[in-house]
Amino acid sequence: MSIEFDQGKAYTVDRGAPKARNGQGMLAGMGVVFKHFRDAMTKKLDNPSEISGVFTVQYPEERYKLPEAARNFPILLYEDASGQELCTSCFQCERICPPQVIHITQAKDPVSGKAVPAIAEFLIEYDACMSCGLCAEVCPFDAIKMDHEYELSTDVHGGLTIDRAGLMRPISYYEQLAPSFWAEVKDGALKKLQGAIKRRSGLVGIAPQMVEVLKKREPSIQESGVGSQNTAIQNPEPRTEPIELRTQNPEPPSPPTPLPVGEERRSRGEGIAATTEAATPVPTAPASSITDTTAPATAPAIPAPSGDARAEKAAKLVAIRAANAKKNETPEGTP
Amino acid sequence: MTDLLRSIIQDAWPFWLISLIASLITITIIMLAAVGTMMLMVWLERRVVARMQDRLGPNRVGPAGLLQSIADGVKMFTKEDIVPRAADQWVHMLAPIVVVSPVVLIFAVVPWGRGVSPSDFGNGVLFVLAISSISAIGLMMAGWSSSNKFAMLGAMRAVAQLISYEIPAVLALLSAVIVSGSMQLARMPELQGGWPLVGTTLGGPDLGLGWFVFTPVGLVGFVIFFIAILAEGERTPFDIPEADSEIVAGHTTEYSGMKFALFYIGQYVLNFVLSMVATVVFLGGWQGPLLAQLAIGNLAPLGGLLSLVYMLIKVWGLFFVMIWLRGALPRLRVDQLMDFAWKLLLPIALINLFSAALWVTINLWGSSPAWTIKVIIPVVSIDLLGWLETASPIVRQITALIVTAALNIAAIRWVLAINRRTEDEEPEEAMLDVLEQRVA
Amino acid sequence: MNTVVQVVFFIISALILIAGILTVTARNLMHAALWLIAGLFGVGALYLLMEAEFAAVVQVMIYVGAVAILILFAIMLTPDLAGESDTPVFQKRWLALVVAAGIFGLLIVPTVFNYSWGLYEVPEGSTLTIASTTKLGISFMGVYLLPFELASVLLLTALIGAIMVGFEPGTRRRVLTLAEEFRLRQKSAISNHKPEEERALPVPVQPDASSEESNDRGLRRDESRQLDP
Repeated sequence: MSIEFDQGKAYTVDRGAPKARNGQGMLAGMGVVFKHFRDAMTKKLDNPSEISGVFTVQYPEERYKLPEAARNFPILLYEDASGQELCTSCFQCERICPPQVIHITQAKDPVSGKAVPAIAEFLIEYDACMSCGLCAEVCPFDAIKMDHEYELSTDVHGGLTIDRAGLMRPISYYEQLAPSFWAEVKDGALKKLQGAIKRRSGLVGIAPQMVEVLKKREPSIQESGVGSQNTAIQNPEPRTEPIELRTQNPEPPSPPTPLPVGEERRSRGEGIAATTEAATPVPTAPASSITDTTAPATAPAIPAPSGDARAEKAAKLVAIRAANAKKNETPEGTP
Repeated sequence: MTDLLRSIIQDAWPFWLISLIASLITITIIMLAAVGTMMLMVWLERRVVARMQDRLGPNRVGPAGLLQSIADGVKMFTKEDIVPRAADQWVHMLAPIVVVSPVVLIFAVVPWGRGVSPSDFGNGVLFVLAISSISAIGLMMAGWSSSNKFAMLGAMRAVAQLISYEIPAVLALLSAVIVSGSMQLARMPELQGGWPLVGTTLGGPDLGLGWFVFTPVGLVGFVIFFIAILAEGERTPFDIPEADSEIVAGHTTEYSGMKFALFYIGQYVLNFVLSMVATVVFLGGWQGPLLAQLAIGNLAPLGGLLSLVYMLIKVWGLFFVMIWLRGALPRLRVDQLMDFAWKLLLPIALINLFSAALWVTINLWGSSPAWTIKVIIPVVSIDLLGWLETASPIVRQITALIVTAALNIAAIRWVLAINRRTEDEEPEEAMLDVLEQRVA
Repeated sequence: MNTVVQVVFFIISALILIAGILTVTARNLMHAALWLIAGLFGVGALYLLMEAEFAAVVQVMIYVGAVAILILFAIMLTPDLAGESDTPVFQKRWLALVVAAGIFGLLIVPTVFNYSWGLYEVPEGSTLTIASTTKLGISFMGVYLLPFELASVLLLTALIGAIMVGFEPGTRRRVLTLAEEFRLRQKSAISNHKPEEERALPVPVQPDASSEESNDRGLRRDESRQLDP
């Protein structure tokens, strides 16, 4: 084959006379096809870049193995053994989600009413999610990751809005989905989780799936855990069927009424009860099954290192508030 | 069948009634065989083409997808039969019938095995050719009655293809007729016993392999006939009329439901029956090894069965080659198709006919007074073929082989060279005025 | 004749007659052609009834398989096809009927009845057979060789005439490859000294300038010849 350049105006590509005689090209083609036929009878391909062999994946008996980076819909992670959720309710995924399908409700400390880095409710509308994976990319705690599950069709209207119970998966699940990805971030994520436990023990969220398991494992925790006596604020059994939910954003909970000064010494149970009544529950659809989950408190399963420390903290907070209130009085009084 | 019935009924009924009933039974068997074969053919085609394309074929309905044809049949049955309002109702309804009936008629003269031939027509070959040309009328009817421009155009193209390829087919078959000396299709396999290349002239055990395709005349004739039946049955690479990306669906555009199914059935059955004709004439039909030895005495039914098996193997093998071609080749354009028929196949077929005549002449020279026309060159009076008169059959056969092989090869090379020349020649003078027309 | 043969003969004749009548009286030209085909089939069936197998098969092959298709093609190219014009050219149909009946009565009937057709019953045990295809072929090559050759010459003449009628020398449809066309243009431009603007055709510029000098008659490529650097 020779190429002539004719002063930049035209290119002549001379491929020479065809070497094949009449009909040989056709026979060569038939030979190739026969080779494919023969291989297709014997070989089944796993690697689609091979030349011949059947590469049909007979769905649904066989499923194509998705690569690690495949993104379908997000899931939340919790540690296997202890059931501790990694999510600290930092709202980064909710902020970055382009179609705004993530709706997070931050949990509140049952004692002090302050917001704690744990989630009360976490909703993702799968039917509007565009599987971009930005939430997983941006999460600083590696708490939300992209799942590979795609067989999610349902005929329940609203059944594709998943709540926290439906979103939680153990880390081992994600590890088996994307081992190399998890291996990269594992140390950092677990370190952050340990840090969270250390700092705010008792406030780290527990995955709903693990509640029963942990209760069975250590029934003694029941007595000493925060809010253990009030079953209303403990999470019920993990949800298996989809729930009917509104699609609008839930109303942000109204700020809790500050505990009146002097009542910080009230028993925990009453304090918790007061807080529960005072705090606005997360608005929900009329389905009654939801009411149990709307309690903003999380059920602590890890025994708090010292209940007194919590009480001290609560007392400090009340004192600060009282001081602030006094401070505010004087500016008003000044002309 | 008539004899069988006659032996059972023993003149209790008049002969014409027995003959009629025998015919009806035979027809029923053939129709069932044809439709059953068609279903098997569709299944085989889909699976084999799929494997050639690195995928599985239909494998859900029934074991290995065998019932897929039945599912398709049910689907086509239950589809609404839509007839366009502007269409000619009667012609629209009759067109599929006219297309499919001749195809089934051809079954009447094709032998399935030794002694198994529905009717012993004296002019079988001619009958096949005549009947297969009736389908073209049905195609025209279909295209015209749809009152659809695309259907009309597609029908015209399809009919042009059919009648163009009939001629090489006829000539190829004629070369076989010349060599075998009779037009009876049932007689042709009987003449193809013996050894390859030399037939029965050598004597020795009858291998059943003296097929016509092993001789030069037969080989060229077979290739031409095979290409022609690819075009007659509208298979790739000649499937312009039926391809989906071509002119909608061609002449079947306005057909739905059972009528479309009829066209579909007709196409497959036509391919099958033309493969049968090709097998009978060129590939030795039901001839094969061990058959002559089994034809004697008690083993005769076994021989008949073996002959049926050989025939079916060959026909299905030919159909496999058709499927293979479908998996491998792209479609020819309409003008390429016509060029191929008229400029390539027809000259080669004509010269093949002449070779066939030479073959017969050399083999039979001097065998009867009619065959001894002296060929004398005027200047030097030499009797050209006189030495053949006393030669043994094997010498004649070998001479015939050499002469016909040389002639066929020379003819093919010549025709190919002519075609290549028309593509290669400098187009200067011819195209200059075309260019001037365009510029002006 | 045998009763069955007579019955079948009458059926076939009725078919032919009906087909003939409908051919002439059908409004729709396509229907007329189809009825003609039916009539031709009937004639073939008659031949078969007379045990002239070769004639029957050849009748179907030639008339139905070739002539009828030709007729259909010719009809397709006729503008007024579906008989929409309800005003036939000749209005007085009764006159046509009278003329036809007259010709039939005065010409055909006496001829048929007064001419001795030479029919005879074949006596039992005679050795006469109907001419087989082989004998037909031999007589074509022997006794009737001259008419055979004349017929083939006639067909050849018709073939050549058809090609001559349809042949247009200037538009031989060979598609040039890009390089060939370019060279041709160069040559024609040099030889004719045509100015620039006449030479360039208004075609879109294609960035791909490579061409294949293979033997395929590919698509026409309207590519600009000027590839300005």
